[in-house]
Amino acid sequence: MTAKPKIAFFDFAGCEGDQLQVANLEERLLDILGHVEVVNFREVATRSGQDYDIAFVEGSVTRPADEERLRQIRAQAKVLVALGACACIGGVNCLKNFMSENVYREEVYGPSARWYPTAPARPLKAVVKVDAEVPGCPVDAAEFARVVKEVLLGKAPWLPDWPVCVECKLAGNICRFEMGRMCLGIITRAGCGACCVTEGAHCWGCRGLVPGANLDSARIVLDRTGQDRKAVQDLLRFYLGDTAATL
Amino acid sequence: MTTTYTVFQEQLPDLFRKWSQEYALYVPASAGGGFFDLKPWREGLEVAWEYDVAYNPPKRFLLPPRETLVRYDLRKYTAEPVFEAPKQILFGLHPYDLKAVNQLDQLMEGGSPDQNYLRRREATVIMALDPLTVSPTAFWSSIGGDHVNHGFDLYWTKIGPASFLVAVGSPRGEELLRAAGELLPATAADREAARRAKLRAHALARSNSLKYNWEETPRVLGRSWDSPVWRKYAVMCLACGSCNLVCPTCYCFDIREEADDRLEQGERFRQWDGCMLESFALVAGNHNFRPKALDRYRHRYFRKGKYIYDKIGELGCVGCGRCVRACTAGIANPLTVFNELWEESGNEY
Ligand code: SF4
Ligand code: SF4
Ligand code: SF4
Ligand code: SF4
Repeated sequence: MTAKPKIAFFDFAGCEGDQLQVANLEERLLDILGHVEVVNFREVATRSGQDYDIAFVEGSVTRPADEERLRQIRAQAKVLVALGACACIGGVNCLKNFMSENVYREEVYGPSARWYPTAPARPLKAVVKVDAEVPGCPVDAAEFARVVKEVLLGKAPWLPDWPVCVECKLAGNICRFEMGRMCLGIITRAGCGACCVTEGAHCWGCRGLVPGANLDSARIVLDRTGQDRKAVQDLLRFYLGDTAATL
Repeated sequence: MTTTYTVFQEQLPDLFRKWSQEYALYVPASAGGGFFDLKPWREGLEVAWEYDVAYNPPKRFLLPPRETLVRYDLRKYTAEPVFEAPKQILFGLHPYDLKAVNQLDQLMEGGSPDQNYLRRREATVIMALDPLTVSPTAFWSSIGGDHVNHGFDLYWTKIGPASFLVAVGSPRGEELLRAAGELLPATAADREAARRAKLRAHALARSNSLKYNWEETPRVLGRSWDSPVWRKYAVMCLACGSCNLVCPTCYCFDIREEADDRLEQGERFRQWDGCMLESFALVAGNHNFRPKALDRYRHRYFRKGKYIYDKIGELGCVGCGRCVRACTAGIANPLTVFNELWEESGNEY
């Protein structure tokens, strides 16, 4: 890669929360941006260009037109990085995949719904090849910084390949299951420091399934908490709608 | 004979106050929801004398979940080792946890001594306490975790509503106790009361017991490599490592490095790891020498029941029962697995 690669940010269906999270890196971002030239970044600069080497893409693919646009970005970019849950795993957008299309189209677009074609929500990798992922909702700023460094150095970006439970134990938290509650840390890829559990909530699975997630076991473990089927299913669909976890 | 003193509960706040001026002092306290943990002592904190088990294992204080080992500078090509060893008192460790620390001491000293661990250990005062209640998943009394006679600076046994028998294990411990003022040597009656208190605690723990003498465990395992028990449980394993991470005797860690954004300075650190994680046994060339859940599941029991025994003559499990609770899949119980293997292999000695 040349000395100063050009990077660009693009967004599909999502909230741009990840770009915001990246912009929040401020000082650190300046250090990293010293190594790159940003040609398209709505949250940082107004300048907009079309020539880039590394594309950071946020959001999921939800409309037929998205597919074409994403393919164009892929064709231009040497490296394509998916940014955030929507881009990496489809995320909350996939909730609509379980609803009637008429219902959500009217909900979103009102009376003019029929002018806006939509399709099931999908992660980027369902349409194009993705070179690196920064998972999470929102992304973890420190992890973003690390993945960018690795991409710039031409290394294969590394993500933890163990479940959130590991980091939860490092943090010394009391397991939600021991409190009779549910938690998706058992099947979710670590890297966030189990922050939601540490803050008193539980894991929602926003970082996607850990490689080798034992979904059969997870289903039994969740059912054993005594929660009804619907509650278990809702939790599994919240972020993991595009995966086999919801079956 | 061990020196013993009688100490009264009313002397404790003053002792804690004095100790905490020089040491970080941790005592058993409520962690909410019926759970307990070792917590930093502060004025007014209620000591949970009747705690059943500390949620987190004491190894946290000696082998922290993440610990910096080296700081380096990429511009100057320099690297400095980092040793942090805060002075601390762990008050109220139950005997099985003390046994676990003694085991870590041996394992960290052997081979190439782990300086980071040993320095922390040196700066740590351990005050043991006989349990008054037993966690429902514990089984320490049948596995040799009830009598531990070394490794402590002081050993406390509650002998009355507001009195303790305190056995001295080191000059440092005795010195700390002197902060209470004139010490009262224990009477024969007090020593007898302590003996009975210990017996009561051990009796409590006996409701969960191995069905055989614990020393047979390595032989039971030796006959069980191909047992169907492994598969039966391993299919449920989530490879989450919780059973390793909460275990007071598990000490595996991974070493990694992280540089700052300007790639100028960085640190090498170690972080807890566990043999139940899928990538634990992954080596160069993408070869995993324990690729299946069954391999990993069986390995943990062999570690606990045979490999550690072959090294130091004790089981690598002290029976605290933490893994039993931590395993969301409900399959990490050494007691049930060892008992099943024993029955299956013909209950013979
Ligand atoms: S609370 Fe969740 S993440 Fe933490 S150990 Fe339990 S299941 Fe795992
Ligand atoms: S704990 Fe779970 S939901 Fe929360 S940030 Fe981590 S992966 Fe996402
Ligand atoms: S194996 Fe389980 S019961 Fe045994 S010492 Fe470790 S955590 Fe405690
Ligand atoms: S805690 Fe249970 S599910 Fe997790 S790795 Fe250990 S045995 Fe497997």
